[in-house]
Amino acid sequence: MGKITYKRLKGSQNMRQRLLLATLKSTPVLIEDIHADDTLPGLRPHEISLLRLFEKLTDDCLIEINETGTKLKYKPGIIVGGSHLVHDCGVSRAIGYFLEPLILLGLFARKTLVIILKGITNDSKDPSVDTFRSTTFPLLKRFGVPSEGLKLEIKSRGVSPHGGGEVHLAIPTVQHLTATMWTDEGMVKRIRGEAFTTRVSVQLGNEMIYAARGIFNRLLPDVYIASDYRKRSEAGNSSGYGISLVAETTSGCCISADTTVSYPRGDEEEDIEGEEKKELIPAADVGEKLASVLLEEIEKGGVVDSTHQGLLFLLCALCVNDVSKVRVGKLSPYGIETLREIRDFLDVQFVIKPDPSTGTVILKCWGSGMKNLSRKTT
Amino acid sequence: MAMDSGADGQSHKAHRSRHSGASAKKKTKAKNKDQNSDQKQQNPKAFAFRSNAKAKRLQSRAVEKEQRRLHLPVIDRSYGELPPFVVVVQGPPQVGKSLLIKTLVKHYTKHNLPDVRGPITIVSGKQRRLQFVECPNDINGMIDAAKFADLALLLIDGSYGFEMETFEFLNILQVHGFPKVMGVLTHLDKFKDVKKLKKTKQRLKHRFWTEIYDGAKLFYLSGLIHGKYPKREVHNLARFISVMKFPPLSWRTSHPYLLVDRFEDVTPPERVQMNSKCDRNVTLYGYLRGCNLKKGTKVHIAGVGDFSLAGVTGLSDPCPLPSAAKKKGLRDKEKLFYAPMSGLGDLLYDKDAVYININDQFVQYSKVDEMGGTTNKENKRDVGEDLVKSLQAVKSPIDEKLEKTKISLFSHNGRKRRKAIFGDGVDHSNLKSTDEENEGDEDDDSDNDNDEGENDRSNEDNESCSGSEFSDGDEEDLKSEDDRSNEDNESCSGSEFSDGDEEDLKSEEDGMGNISKWRASLVERASKKQNINLMQLVYGKSASTSNTSANEVKDDSENEESDEDEFFKPKGQRAKNSIEGLGGGNINTEDCSKSTKISELKNWKEEEVYESIRDRFVTGDWSKGALRNQMSEAKTEEDDIDGDFEDLETGEKYESHQKDDSSNGGIQKEDDDAIEERRLKKLALRAKFDAHYDGSESPEEETDVQNGGKFHRSQANDSGYYDKLKEEIELQKQINIAELDDLDETTRLEIEGFRTGMYLRLEVHDVPFEMIEYFDPCHPILVGGIGLGEENVGYMQTRLKRHRWHKKVLKTRDPIIVSIGWRRYQTTPVYAIEDQNGRHRMLKYTPEHMHCLAMFWGPLAPPKTGVLAVQNLSNNQVAFRIIATAYVLEFNHAARIVKKIKLVGYPCKIFKKTALIKDMFTSDLEVARFEGAAIRTVSGIRGQVKKAAKEEIGNQPKKKGGQAREGIARCTFEDRILMSDIVFLRAWTQVEVPQFYNALTTSLQPRQKTWQGMKTVAELRREHNLSIPVNKDSLYKPIERKPRKFNPLVIPKALQADLPFESKPKNIPHRKRPLLEDRRAVVMEPHERKVHALVQHLQLIRNDKMKKRKLKEEQKRKEVEAQRAKDEQVLRKRRRKKGKRETESKTN
Repeated sequence: MGKITYKRLKGSQNMRQRLLLATLKSTPVLIEDIHADDTLPGLRPHEISLLRLFEKLTDDCLIEINETGTKLKYKPGIIVGGSHLVHDCGVSRAIGYFLEPLILLGLFARKTLVIILKGITNDSKDPSVDTFRSTTFPLLKRFGVPSEGLKLEIKSRGVSPHGGGEVHLAIPTVQHLTATMWTDEGMVKRIRGEAFTTRVSVQLGNEMIYAARGIFNRLLPDVYIASDYRKRSEAGNSSGYGISLVAETTSGCCISADTTVSYPRGDEEEDIEGEEKKELIPAADVGEKLASVLLEEIEKGGVVDSTHQGLLFLLCALCVNDVSKVRVGKLSPYGIETLREIRDFLDVQFVIKPDPSTGTVILKCWGSGMKNLSRKTT
Repeated sequence: MAMDSGADGQSHKAHRSRHSGASAKKKTKAKNKDQNSDQKQQNPKAFAFRSNAKAKRLQSRAVEKEQRRLHLPVIDRSYGELPPFVVVVQGPPQVGKSLLIKTLVKHYTKHNLPDVRGPITIVSGKQRRLQFVECPNDINGMIDAAKFADLALLLIDGSYGFEMETFEFLNILQVHGFPKVMGVLTHLDKFKDVKKLKKTKQRLKHRFWTEIYDGAKLFYLSGLIHGKYPKREVHNLARFISVMKFPPLSWRTSHPYLLVDRFEDVTPPERVQMNSKCDRNVTLYGYLRGCNLKKGTKVHIAGVGDFSLAGVTGLSDPCPLPSAAKKKGLRDKEKLFYAPMSGLGDLLYDKDAVYININDQFVQYSKVDEMGGTTNKENKRDVGEDLVKSLQAVKSPIDEKLEKTKISLFSHNGRKRRKAIFGDGVDHSNLKSTDEENEGDEDDDSDNDNDEGENDRSNEDNESCSGSEFSDGDEEDLKSEDDRSNEDNESCSGSEFSDGDEEDLKSEEDGMGNISKWRASLVERASKKQNINLMQLVYGKSASTSNTSANEVKDDSENEESDEDEFFKPKGQRAKNSIEGLGGGNINTEDCSKSTKISELKNWKEEEVYESIRDRFVTGDWSKGALRNQMSEAKTEEDDIDGDFEDLETGEKYESHQKDDSSNGGIQKEDDDAIEERRLKKLALRAKFDAHYDGSESPEEETDVQNGGKFHRSQANDSGYYDKLKEEIELQKQINIAELDDLDETTRLEIEGFRTGMYLRLEVHDVPFEMIEYFDPCHPILVGGIGLGEENVGYMQTRLKRHRWHKKVLKTRDPIIVSIGWRRYQTTPVYAIEDQNGRHRMLKYTPEHMHCLAMFWGPLAPPKTGVLAVQNLSNNQVAFRIIATAYVLEFNHAARIVKKIKLVGYPCKIFKKTALIKDMFTSDLEVARFEGAAIRTVSGIRGQVKKAAKEEIGNQPKKKGGQAREGIARCTFEDRILMSDIVFLRAWTQVEVPQFYNALTTSLQPRQKTWQGMKTVAELRREHNLSIPVNKDSLYKPIERKPRKFNPLVIPKALQADLPFESKPKNIPHRKRPLLEDRRAVVMEPHERKVHALVQHLQLIRNDKMKKRKLKEEQKRKEVEAQRAKDEQVLRKRRRKKGKRETESKTN
């Protein structure tokens, strides 16, 4: 009936947060100039896939894209969720890209979300599914998400370029998120991890584990890295290997790092061109490097690693009307962008105070009081 | 602000019992008696449980009672000073509402109120303020009043009894969260007969109780003395009000709202002159209630519509609570009183000015004064002096108040506000003279100041967009002005503006160039030691200021857009950024949560490198690790306050003062240590204290948060889940308070918004002029904040029940007026009921005594919100106006309401068990949709739709040359059907809920006029004198059935031949005359006759014999039976005796 006033935005940056916040706050958005100056203008395949995913989960949402794909009109609907959903994430981005908004969306859905996601499970660009299981879920529990319903099963792994992985995700719904005071980062008490290999020798995995342990052993005895050797149908369509590590602290914080190296298949010559220059990193180097990355994350401090900053801020901002206080290492660019989007959409500002003695940053915010409005009352 | 006053419990004077006199004697006597009786009854055995089951039952009952008492604890998030409680006085006309308010006001403030218009705020006690509102007498006003009432005083005419208004209001209250209710009976002096009075009181009380709860307070006002209610009774009523507790109501604690007690039109006069019907700008003043109000929130003005706030300002409290000095009762000076709509109250505080209302007496008084003193000056001067003098009396309180409130539009620190400008005279005389002195360098700004003096209102407009207005005033000028105009050294609001301005300028700079710069070097910066103001880095200055002057959302977004435009303009920057690893284009950066630069990693194999983080591992130094967490928290506060401070001063030069800070750091460290030590000591002391008082009182005033988590949890031992829950809530509250108190006032405002209890001034633009024109102070304005997702329009499902006092059932799609949340609107619901299988079946009418679902379109309200439905708003109806109550179940666009549909078709061709059915479907597509659907004939033969029939078979159009007829379906049945059969397909079809809603704009029309929206069909018919259309086919007619004639059964010859003889139809021709055998008579021979007679005799004898025997047998049987009965009786007697004897022997 009434005219819809759209919130006007530009560019494809932070598409995920923007769509997510728009859906949660039910603000219609109009995004212009999406990759307008590129040689191939318009929405990227993964962005379209993301929109499809949103459409799948919500009821009565309206998505309009202009011919060139540079303009997007999105009127969010009610988040429904539901089980027996299947989504093909494509191969342009990993499943981690979709999981990040999906988790929050699922929390505020009407019905518990059970979805099968297909595509690339491990990637160097996005957090891997292992990281979600080991780090993100404990993070959610901090905010009052029941741990029983949270589930992520890796049915098969797939790495780029051809994917073929499949994960089963289940997210419970919540009435609201509870605020948290989370500034105690604790000390690292154990390091766990998982090294996987798909369609390559199991030896590579062991090499990675050996190299990573070599670095940790000087600091901590309690290091255990499992190896996950996948073959045949469970290994997806491409070959590759990777490792993800988690450091758990005495106060229950999880700090993670992960990476993946994948081979393009031999028979696809045209694909390789770009990547031919990049030499494949030996497995031992991968393990060593990732261990260093994890140590660097630990050095930075904070209750989460830099990858999870954005999610942490979002969770804080979506809490009930209470003060949340968290400590993070130095703000990542993604975290900063997220903070801005939160300000724009939810009208929640954080008080950001650096803590010079440790080089960390303490953030405080007054939750927006988000409630799950789509849940049915009885 | 007044945390202490709010949080601390009021200490009451202890009861002093009498030591002498009659009552003391009586008490001692009673006590003695009690003791004596106690001693008598000190037999513990006598009162112990005797029955196991009974004990169990009693215990379980006690436990159950305990559990029933518990309610989920509600979180009260209003910290600090509470807003005044709203006391709504409601009742039918002529019952004495205004008189009650007047007498109550008189009781509290000793002021006589000429008439009651709008809310009247008074200070009623040291901790409590009240706001009295008279409820208007139309249903719209009642609905609005129910939404903001904390306490409803229902006035009832005792001589008349209850009126519909009271019950209507009670129902409205119930739907919108049931605040406290107290009944007040008036007009009791009309009873001459005491007994009758008593009876009536009793009757009314019990009726009142059934409506609310048993024991609800009903107050009696016995009559009038000098046109006022008796003092004693009013006093008692005031006592009742003063001790009342107000539980938080869920809707209100989650939405901010204002009861407007002052309302002004601030449209520039030129615009109004140009077009008197132009959209107006208005300001609304009132205490913020409910929850905190953020700047970006949209508001709903009841009866007008939704608006975004053009400006929000916190003003100093016009009716503050007395200072928390220890004393009994209120002093007369503190008995404040604020009712701008009634034209009372001396001071009006505005954003930048204070208006003073001077009574005539005072004017005269000052004239006398002037006569003695200065008569040589101009008249103009006199008035000004008067004003100044009158001001001097109240000066200090204003200053205090102004100092207390640090809220302002711009984020400045520690600046004082400009002193109030009080009137024309002062301004002209003082300022002009000084202006003339240095006219040269002072240009725009001072002029503006003058304008302000002359025309405050016009300036109020400017302020919201002051950035552009004052942009050319430079700092030095302003400073000089500061010095010059204020000897008292109270910086005026002009300087505040300029200050804001100065920052604006900076921020604009930031916006243009700097942002991109910092953006570029962000990562480097972050890697350095961060004691620059991170908030500015992240949010940017310009954005925050644009946010504060919250424009309309649309504008806002456009602003942002333009901001971003400037923000992202330099395309050359892009290349730089890409090096940084932020991705390609600025606005099209890749969306990646993982920072993908692993290139510059340290070599963690080196010893000094990995040893540097040794303490972050459990293998390292635990004490250092613990210190890392603790130290920093105490420290950050100190450091950051400094950091903030310096940042504002030096503006953009972050690097320079980084060094400063680091040098400061060394000095501060020692201070910090000392502070830390002191803090810990305090904590220890507090812990000791708590340990002492544990159990007696819940730990309420614990503000220690730093190690609060563990500290409190240990206390929540085994006192049950409920207590734990309560404790957690309390803990969270304390954490919030502590954390928020850390912040300075400006950031706090940005973080949590305006707090409840603040006196706010809301500016709203583009309001229809009718709101001004038809404004009536007797109809209070309610401004409610719109919550999450409530500005959207959509379908809502509600569970609805027709009100039992409404005489009719409700019809689907008849427009009704609903009140949900803050809103009232007209909509057309579709009623439905949920079937066993979860299907929502449409109902034409609501059930009479049951709940049903109602689905309608309109602005959304969150689930569990109460809904009230009214059909007719007019005042002149006797019947109960509330037609239904409901509550929102969910928003659901996908939920389908369906109704039955019966497709009817006729066979057009019949094969064996297959038939082609026509007229059921209109197209082949439709047939395809129904393939496999079950069908049935009237006679009960079941079947199934197979497929659309081919044209050739169906009706051979090609041969005939006609158009192919579509929609013929081939169906199969379980038996061959007849051409005369009618075939049904029973299905469900979706019912569309009309997308219609019409907001009630009752504030935009004369109040006495009844709002007219969409009419119901019945109303329209009545108006146009139309009869109800009748479908003749639906009428019931007497059924006429002709007796059916069946054809004779014909058995084929071949079959007949095979049949056995008995089954063969015997073809006996019908004879006219009976056969000879039947016809002829028989004549017996004499011998034969004899034999026949003999046989007859014999039979007679035999019959007689048999008869006799039968009689005999009967007699015999009777005798036997009698004998048997006798025997039995004897036997029974004997047995009884025997039994007795046996028992006797046993007992012996």
